[in-house]
Amino acid sequence: MVERSQKDVWRLAPWLMIALLIVNFVLMAFDAKEITSGQRVVRSWTQTIADFVQSPVTTVTSAVANYFSSISNLRSAQTDNDVLKQRVQELEVELKQKEELAAENTRLRSFLQLKETSKYKILTARIIGRDPSVWFDSSIVNRGSLDGVQLNMPVVTDGGLVGRVTAVGPLTCQVDLVTRNKSGVGAVIGQVGESNALGVVSGTSKGDLLEMRYVAGSVAVEVGQAVFTTGQDGIYPAGLKVGEIVSVVTGSATTPHQILIQPAAKLNSMQEVGILLYEAASREQFEQKLPNATKDVKK
Amino acid sequence: MEGVKLTISLIIAIVLQWTLRNVWEPLAYIDLPLIIVVYAALQRNSIRALLFGSIAGLSVDALSGGLLGANGFSKTIVAYIVCEITRRVYMDNLILRIPVIAGACLLDDMIYYGLHRLFGQPPGNDVLVTAAYSLIGTTIAGTLVYLLLQSLSGERTRRKKRDVFAPRRQTRRRNPIRLGK
Repeated sequence: MVERSQKDVWRLAPWLMIALLIVNFVLMAFDAKEITSGQRVVRSWTQTIADFVQSPVTTVTSAVANYFSSISNLRSAQTDNDVLKQRVQELEVELKQKEELAAENTRLRSFLQLKETSKYKILTARIIGRDPSVWFDSSIVNRGSLDGVQLNMPVVTDGGLVGRVTAVGPLTCQVDLVTRNKSGVGAVIGQVGESNALGVVSGTSKGDLLEMRYVAGSVAVEVGQAVFTTGQDGIYPAGLKVGEIVSVVTGSATTPHQILIQPAAKLNSMQEVGILLYEAASREQFEQKLPNATKDVKK
Repeated sequence: MEGVKLTISLIIAIVLQWTLRNVWEPLAYIDLPLIIVVYAALQRNSIRALLFGSIAGLSVDALSGGLLGANGFSKTIVAYIVCEITRRVYMDNLILRIPVIAGACLLDDMIYYGLHRLFGQPPGNDVLVTAAYSLIGTTIAGTLVYLLLQSLSGERTRRKKRDVFAPRRQTRRRNPIRLGK
């Protein structure tokens, strides 16, 4: 082993620093490009390695937490049981009605010869890791490409929309939450097809609230109204609940409303999520490119 | 032996950084890899400190929603600056190390945030609030970790302390009576 003198070390240090800074800078440049364009390879493989550490730790900590919460929950178990029994009976009645409606829907679809543009299943996943940096708030879940997860698939909970998949490894994937300020969700206030209050929902720096932009000031908007996805952004399907409006600064005919939304999903306390195995219907060629931007030369 | 101890400490710090946020959200404000990187830099081995800075940063970046390499970049710069300070100023006292870890944390956060702004990916958090909490958490945790690491380093540290804080040799006072004589 070569022993270096302290003087050699001091002489070598600036050059080593410059080399390391260049390596890190190049990685950053590539990563910044890949964030919007595609798969982040280094990241997804590191997540797979980290999964072997994170999964056992998460299992142990959640088991301990569940043990203590189950003790505290025992107190209210009897009351909950009575309420749930009543609720089950109500739901059974509702289910019967919905089965009839679904059957009717299928009959009508076949009658009209309509085809579904996209179908999706829900894959349940457990959150095994949170962002180690305090600056961002992504999550890592225990489902990857081997389970059929792909880039940009929407992630939901029973409450509503959580975010989308931004990096996929074989065993794990990374989920960026809707609260991230770079996220954008095509959304509508009220039900799709019944409202024309369209806008884009993105994250803010105001804690866990979301902001809805570009909603025309001439449209009536009230606090408490629900916001749903429109399905027009090419990532999320239509009809997913994003949240409820908690604040509106009314706009005018020329300025849009300033709307703040409380996310429907409990983003800070969620333990399990559902990944929608959904691929948005591919757009027509003319929708992807502007006609005057194509440079196809026909001979 | 010192190198092995520090490498193990760094691995433990990275693993804890990956997992502690799951246990309790505010623990994310403590930058454990940075604490070990600064400690390595304070040992006057600049090459080890620089490599530690890059590796620790990249390990955190790989699981983060931020840019891959941003933490590596900031921690490498911090490691180099702390090395240069240590070269010029005597830093073996724990009291002096506390402002160093605080300054390193602040610098690391500023570089990290600046790089994300540069690449058009600014974090959504309030910079001042996040940096302040991070500063408090990392400084307190850093002080405790340094105490732990010093106590673990055993005989070598005790010898060093004995040398540094050795009792002053009492010079024999001249006898005033004899002087008067």
